[in-house]
Amino acid sequence: MTQTDMLSSDQEDLRMLRESARTLFERAGSAGRSRKLRDADGGWDADMIRELAEAGVFGVTVPEDNGGLGMGLAAGGVIAEEVGRVIAPEPVVVTVGLSLGLLRRLCPQHAMMDQIIGGETVLAVAWQERGPNGGPVEASCRYDGGKLTGSKAWVVGAVGADGFLVVADSDAGPVMVLAEAKASGLSFEKTAQADGSAMGELTFSGTPAELLADGTAVQGALAEAISDATALAAAELIGLSDRAFEITLDYIKTREQFDKPIGSFQVIQHRAVDLHVMREVAQAGVREALAQMDSEADPKVRARLASRAKARAVTAAKKITRDAIQLHGAVGYTDEFDIGLYLNRALVLSAWLGDDAYHRRIWFDAREEEGAAQ
Amino acid sequence: MTDWNTLSDAEFRKEVRGFFEAEYPEELRNLPHRPKFAEIEHWHVKLHAKGWVAPAWPAEFGGMGLNAAKLLIFYEEQQRWGVNRGRDMGIQMVGPLIIKFGTQDQKDYWLPRILSCEDIWCQGYSEPGAGSDLANLRTRAEADGKDFVINGQKIWTTMAHDASHIFMLVRTDPDTPKKQQGISFLLAPMDQAGVDVRTITTLSGETEFCEVFFDNARTPKENLVGELNKGWTMAKALLSFERIFIGSPSLAQNALVQLESFARGRGAFDDPVFRDRFAQAALDVEDHAALYSRFADQLKRGETLGADVSMLKIWVTECFQRITELMIEAAGPDGGTIGPLQVGNVNVDVLASFYKARPTTIYGGSNEIQRNILSKAVLGLPG
Repeated sequence: MTQTDMLSSDQEDLRMLRESARTLFERAGSAGRSRKLRDADGGWDADMIRELAEAGVFGVTVPEDNGGLGMGLAAGGVIAEEVGRVIAPEPVVVTVGLSLGLLRRLCPQHAMMDQIIGGETVLAVAWQERGPNGGPVEASCRYDGGKLTGSKAWVVGAVGADGFLVVADSDAGPVMVLAEAKASGLSFEKTAQADGSAMGELTFSGTPAELLADGTAVQGALAEAISDATALAAAELIGLSDRAFEITLDYIKTREQFDKPIGSFQVIQHRAVDLHVMREVAQAGVREALAQMDSEADPKVRARLASRAKARAVTAAKKITRDAIQLHGAVGYTDEFDIGLYLNRALVLSAWLGDDAYHRRIWFDAREEEGAAQ
Repeated sequence: MTDWNTLSDAEFRKEVRGFFEAEYPEELRNLPHRPKFAEIEHWHVKLHAKGWVAPAWPAEFGGMGLNAAKLLIFYEEQQRWGVNRGRDMGIQMVGPLIIKFGTQDQKDYWLPRILSCEDIWCQGYSEPGAGSDLANLRTRAEADGKDFVINGQKIWTTMAHDASHIFMLVRTDPDTPKKQQGISFLLAPMDQAGVDVRTITTLSGETEFCEVFFDNARTPKENLVGELNKGWTMAKALLSFERIFIGSPSLAQNALVQLESFARGRGAFDDPVFRDRFAQAALDVEDHAALYSRFADQLKRGETLGADVSMLKIWVTECFQRITELMIEAAGPDGGTIGPLQVGNVNVDVLASFYKARPTTIYGGSNEIQRNILSKAVLGLPG
């Protein structure tokens, strides 16, 4: 074996996974395809969902015994990065991190697992609730006698989902139930997002729903699924930042002013280097955090690692996409140039599941708690 | 002779750690200043007896013969235990240069004297008009009989006032089309009438940097290393490993540990703004370490590092500075106080850390120069 062959087989698997995901998205039309979908109605492409399913994308972190690839979160991160690079609107992180994250932990034998892994069904996950001042409040949505009453907010992937996994309270404690999108007594409002997508605000008035799991396991699985989704959203932001930087670098190499490419000016060069360094640090930090989550069983430590990943990814994505607009100059402020699509997606992905300031707080508190326990 | 490279990384780390922990003098741990040789001589004697003075040199010249991976471990352990690098200009710079480009006579004469520290070396590169633009150097060396005669001035020469010899880049041909040509690598004794050393007092009050003036100083012609007028290429060849070492996370990691214990003692963590800034700094260090491992893994696989390794230095030195600035903030009204500040049973010299962090973005190729390198060699930007 030569020195350069010494990449571990794990790393080799991830490299191949990355290549196949990249090829799939590029063949479909990269960011141009995402723009068309945004202009159409802000939804996603059902054919793409099927293609992703055929490539095994949705089951990437699901154990092989439950019909998945059993490759772990680091592999999920590789796919999320590729989703981010082409700002694909398909709910990959929602599916891998949240819906399958909950189902594989709470009811791995449920038929819904196969349907989701196979791309036949897409579910969105509803657990947060909006209070009178517009911010999040303690959940109060109830599940009694097979029916849901209450409301849920910030449901990503709600438009186009076939159903909702809803976390609610019941007399028997917390439950996870499945409500179909077309169920009676379910009303739905869209909140339009900067990237053309929409989040759902759901109201249930005696909406029939199937009980999938109950007891304290529900809260535990929800926390774990949120950690997974947070880490995967971080990876998506890493891919997004990576591509946004490439686009910007190409632009400053070709755009001429004062008879020279603007990338020949030192002030532009140093800003570009700062973005590049930020990108590399972020990529290394986020990938390391995801890999460590794969070898860590303690949910609290995994949550801290997810916060580390999201804090870094949001900081990097904000800086890179915003500076990218500045480096593009006036055309960066137009809808016509793709760079703006990256800024808008970064805004949405940053706000979802907590931004950098939020996750630094969570990370710091977790570190303090671990320190005190030692 | 032990072939250290046959040990596993973990075994080797254990060996190195064990030696430092058992043998390194407690009073020399984490020295806040650069020591004169007399101050650390007792440690050097131990290290020399162990055969560990020159970890990177091939075994045939008295080194440990470590490969890149083992070398990295050696330095990591050295920094972890706060082991002073000693007066290592001879070990780090002159030795490798002579091993690579020197004659047999030069090897036989100089290498053992470097290992024993019979000769203590300083590095004469920078000049008043040649800092970042090093190739602009003007100190002349002209052939005169059996000698070179040296005239000019070097500056920022670290510990020149405690050195017996200087290795220097000098101009031996003033009429070349490119200024990188016409530069040679020369060794010279410091103890002679034509060499005058004056210390420079830094912002922190230390005197580790010097100016060195050459007024018809002489050195024998056999002290030319390598070919005449090829010094620039040789100096560049020496920098390859240096570039990851200078971007190692340890300076920032150690400062973060200090910041945390100091800030805790002072109650700074009660302030949510401070908590957030601490979290930022701590995550900056952690994610930098992840990037550093990526480069270290490349070395371990036997790959050569590219110019992109420069980004480690940019990130870690700027992060180190932010951490020491947070220490000053946490010190409140003591932020301008010289000397160790007592917090519980810990002493933290806040200003010493602050001053130590300042020149890190200047030396070893200023961070602006590093950005130029990345811009051209890595990002491929024009001009």
